Amino acid sequence: MIEVRGGAHPATALLRFAVGAGDPAAVMIEVRGIHKRFGDVVAVDDVSFVAQDGAVTGLLGPNGAGKSTSLRVLYGLLETDRGRVLVDGVDVTHRPQEAQCRMGVLPDAQGLYVRLTAREHLRYFGRLQGLSGPVLERNIDELVERLDMGSIIDRRVQGFSHGERVKVAVGRALVHRPRNMLLDEPTNGLDVASTRAMRQLIREMRSDGTCVVFSSHIMQEVSALCDRIVIISAGRVVAEGTPDEILAQSGLSSLEDAFVTLTGIDEVRV
Amino acid sequence: MNWLRKEVGPVFHKEFLDAIRDRRSLMSALLFPLFAPLMINVLFGTIAARERGAEDLVFPVKGAEHAPGLVAWIERANHEVTAAEGDLFEAVREGELELAVWIDSTYAEAFSEGRPASVKLIVDGSKTEIAPLVRRAREVIRGYADQISTLRLIARGVSGDARTPVTIEEIDLATAQQRSAVFLGFIPLFIIMAAFISGMNVAIDTTAGERERGSLEPLLINPISRNSIVIGKWLVTVVFSSVGIILVLSTTVLALQWMSLEDLGVRLDIGGAELVGVLAGTVPLAFLASGIQLLVSTFARSFKEAQVYINLLIFVPLIPGIIASVSSLPTDTWTVLVPAMAQQVLLTQVMGGENPGLPSFLLAGLSSMVLGVICIVLTAWLFRHERIVFGET
Repeated sequence: MIEVRGGAHPATALLRFAVGAGDPAAVMIEVRGIHKRFGDVVAVDDVSFVAQDGAVTGLLGPNGAGKSTSLRVLYGLLETDRGRVLVDGVDVTHRPQEAQCRMGVLPDAQGLYVRLTAREHLRYFGRLQGLSGPVLERNIDELVERLDMGSIIDRRVQGFSHGERVKVAVGRALVHRPRNMLLDEPTNGLDVASTRAMRQLIREMRSDGTCVVFSSHIMQEVSALCDRIVIISAGRVVAEGTPDEILAQSGLSSLEDAFVTLTGIDEVRV
Repeated sequence: MNWLRKEVGPVFHKEFLDAIRDRRSLMSALLFPLFAPLMINVLFGTIAARERGAEDLVFPVKGAEHAPGLVAWIERANHEVTAAEGDLFEAVREGELELAVWIDSTYAEAFSEGRPASVKLIVDGSKTEIAPLVRRAREVIRGYADQISTLRLIARGVSGDARTPVTIEEIDLATAQQRSAVFLGFIPLFIIMAAFISGMNVAIDTTAGERERGSLEPLLINPISRNSIVIGKWLVTVVFSSVGIILVLSTTVLALQWMSLEDLGVRLDIGGAELVGVLAGTVPLAFLASGIQLLVSTFARSFKEAQVYINLLIFVPLIPGIIASVSSLPTDTWTVLVPAMAQQVLLTQVMGGENPGLPSFLLAGLSSMVLGVICIVLTAWLFRHERIVFGET
């Protein structure tokens, strides 16, 4: 099914609500008509989408389209003016901490503490997530293995390369083994090897059954990784569906053409 | 309690680890407390040396042979007379001599004829540190003149009392301890400064610094309340600030005991009871200083801006101390409720040998504590604002 959203869809929203209430495991992250205004600027205007378990959902849009703002609403750092976000059926606005327990987030800001070691970062965030003792240490050991951090884990972050820093940032987001993962432009500024590693990680998380949402302004990346694509432009969802569905809907032969046409960025360029 | 362990605990632990590894934070906590007693030491040392020096002066005299009586008088007053030659003006100007006495050949003639005989006391008035020496030298010579004039009057059959129709008898009612309190007046100032300097860098680094480095957003995504985060950061700042206060207190007390205060006629009696009171009254200042600093640096838009605000902020609690150095502070009950002023007043009293009593100390501590908590409530409130969390958006 292809959904093109020019405004609110009360019927589908109702349907989703029914599905979500009946079987919360089926829909991991559900965004319903969120809206965010900064002063006179509307950054996010009635954005709705659904991200499934064991699938990668890509938020695709040009810079400034409202992807980061949408994600910040999703992980509970920005309050939506209206609409709601459900994570595993938990309302982010009303029970933010409960929802945050269920999410791992790699935000746009990935600042680290240069005087702490990589292990101390993971331990800090694990403890903030309520973990402690052997469980926490075991999770950390697993991450060291999975992210190949053995050589850096007990070094202070000062002097880490960009790729190593990203590993720490990803590690601290995953330390509590979240079932939902949100990544804001995760490959930004990474070299080829790190980009490949990041894509591999996203695929692994999908096969683990994790619900992955990531944002990107790079069409090729989204089409290579995503099961579903949500195209956002000027704060609104302009298309949503599998890559094939989006092609069919736009009537164009390549995703890139579809992206350009749907977001209207070709008009801006001319 | 569970909330303290699970939410505030991790934040406190991490911020503490981070701060003690930060050379800048450590320096601001430790350097000033070490510097303060050093300053006291140097200051007291020079005052003491000067007072001691004035007791037995050295008089370099040129032309001593013209005034044997004066020379004998100086030596009888236990001062040393040395022979000076050459250009005395040059020697004093260049600092080779602190002062010099020049008696020329007209002296003996004038003296024997009963005319005013001239003795030149050569000094450099721009050197304030030798002012007590000069005063003492002048007194010695004037003492000789007084004695001679009395003798001359008696020789003419007039009572020596005729010279002194009025005598000034100065009765100083200040106790030795009160006099010393004037000397020690800058110790409260040091303690108040320590409260504000020692935690300063931690306060900035954990708030404005955290946001500027882009680690605030990842931190806030975790399922713990903003209150817990702010309280954890606050308590680490308080630890640094308290350590600063306690260090300044102990190092100055040690420095004062080590120095020979008796030379100055200064006596410092601080017993156990006073010390407990002083700690109860001053350590809570750390809660207030840290609270204000967290509030201000959370509000600031950048690390640099926070530094500017906080450096300016240090002067505010010094105002009572500065007022106290030119006049007396009121000692009404309400003053112990005003932070900084309370510590200034109470510490001055303690050093003046009075014990203000535990209730005063506790009130002073309580008022700082309450205001500190108010600052932290406001900081936590700021932390819920999107502008504060994301900076300029």
